[in-house]
Amino acid sequence: MSTPAAAVGWFRAWLHAALFGFACAAAALSPSSYTPQTRAIALRQIYFTAWQVLAGYLLFAAVLSVIVVHITVATTFEFGLSGYAVELVLRAMVLELLPLLTAFFVALRSGSAIGTEIALMRVAGELDLAHAADAGPMQREFVPRVIASGIAVASLTVLGCTTTVAVAYAAIYGLSPWGLEEYLQVVAHVFSLPALAGFLLKCTLFGFVVAVIPIAAGMSATRDAKSAPLAVMGGMVRLFFALGIIEIAALAAAYA
Amino acid sequence: MAEPQFTPIPRNLQFRVGLLIGLTVMIAIGFVLFVLYARGAFDQTQRLVLIADNAEGVAIGMDLTFSGFPIGQVRRITLRDDGKARIVIRVPVEDARWLRTTTVFTLERGIVGAPKIRAFSANLKDPPLPNGAERIVLRGDATEEIPRMVASLRALLDNLQSITGPGGSVQASLDNIRGVTERMAGKQGALDALLGEDEAKKAGAALDRANALLTSLGGVSQRLDAMIAKADARVLGQGGLVDGAQQAVGQMNAALGEVRDNLKRVERILADAEAVSGNAKAATADLAALRAEVDASLRKVSSLIEEINRKWPFQRDAEIRLP
Repeated sequence: MSTPAAAVGWFRAWLHAALFGFACAAAALSPSSYTPQTRAIALRQIYFTAWQVLAGYLLFAAVLSVIVVHITVATTFEFGLSGYAVELVLRAMVLELLPLLTAFFVALRSGSAIGTEIALMRVAGELDLAHAADAGPMQREFVPRVIASGIAVASLTVLGCTTTVAVAYAAIYGLSPWGLEEYLQVVAHVFSLPALAGFLLKCTLFGFVVAVIPIAAGMSATRDAKSAPLAVMGGMVRLFFALGIIEIAALAAAYA
Repeated sequence: MAEPQFTPIPRNLQFRVGLLIGLTVMIAIGFVLFVLYARGAFDQTQRLVLIADNAEGVAIGMDLTFSGFPIGQVRRITLRDDGKARIVIRVPVEDARWLRTTTVFTLERGIVGAPKIRAFSANLKDPPLPNGAERIVLRGDATEEIPRMVASLRALLDNLQSITGPGGSVQASLDNIRGVTERMAGKQGALDALLGEDEAKKAGAALDRANALLTSLGGVSQRLDAMIAKADARVLGQGGLVDGAQQAVGQMNAALGEVRDNLKRVERILADAEAVSGNAKAATADLAALRAEVDASLRKVSSLIEEINRKWPFQRDAEIRLP
């Protein structure tokens, strides 16, 4: 494949993913998308994406928090800036690191699975049949998965961040209740309303792309079974970059 | 349906997913409410306006602290027409009791970190700060002080260098001191250091002469003592001047007695002469004898006076009045 053709293919894939994303968003806002069938798919998707891994994920978040808190507190203490340790931990862990890690986690666990699933459906020709019937695959198969991924990312992020906030308090102040007031003061200071709005927007976008890009990639598979791995791989790479771009944009908006 | 069929789907799927979503929503809403509450969205607040020359580093949402506790937050920063910064701070009414009319506000900027707005209330019994009060904020800026400090430090070091450097006054003073101490350690000692070589020699000679003078003065005073003792003996001692004077006075008294007697006899003789006026010739022999006696008496008196004058040198008036 020559370089211009690759560039055109790359551009078309991104364009396809973006257009598919818009179509998904439009379908998700349509009340006719919410049927018992789509609800069942969404519930199953949430269950597999979020509930099944919840304990392990929270444990991971807690361990990571403890380590990051210790490093941050020790480093800031060395530089004589320990007064900023709590704020630094909250900003780095809760506002930036955990949402991104959650999105990557969901992408690796469910995004790849969804992309493969759609690609296989495409190879098997199921989507063509569905397209022939009156209920389009968009509403029947894609919208529930996108919504479920969004909810899963949001749930894991919120619960993971809550765990981090609690663990960080215990790691900084111990189990004493006397640091609580000061700690909550810093929490309230870090989570200003613009920061909360940005956090919400970022998490929504993460949840959205985590499902949309793999599905769009799966859609690009053909009836040839060999096209499925290529489609899934391209989708995962695009997903990685999409998550990175969202994070960079959020950081730039918040701090630049 | 390509959903993994080998994973059993639990029967209470709806409940579990519902629990998860419910928990998430509850935490999210609770957190937002907490943040709103903690940031004072539900508090009644009062306004405080701080006027600063320079609001650099002041950010919206920054705390106003009192005794290290945040009691208010910066809500708005504007530039006034006179070029000064106007920092609007919202203080919850509950915390406004720490702010009094005499409260001092400072904007301190450290070398590291964001600036801090602090309130200091010296007397909490002063009247409370009214809503919307405008106060000048005092600025303390460590980073602004540093260049000024460095400049004055450099000037100080330059001065110090010019004082202590080669050719500096300290060096010159030390050289002088060294010269003085060297001369003090020399043959002439401290005098050399103080007066110089020639003068020190002269001073040594002067001292020698003064010593000789003192020695001869000792001899003079001894001789003076002896002389005074002799004079004492001559004036006051046995057979001295005073003794002689006493004897002369005694003799004078006796001589004067004789003169009186003679004069009485003269008087009597004159009376006789008057009585025997007719017989003048007969009386002539007596007169001649009397005259001789009177002459003798006068000579005695004059010699006595001369003797007194000789022996009594303090008597200036040598005249003796005769009757």
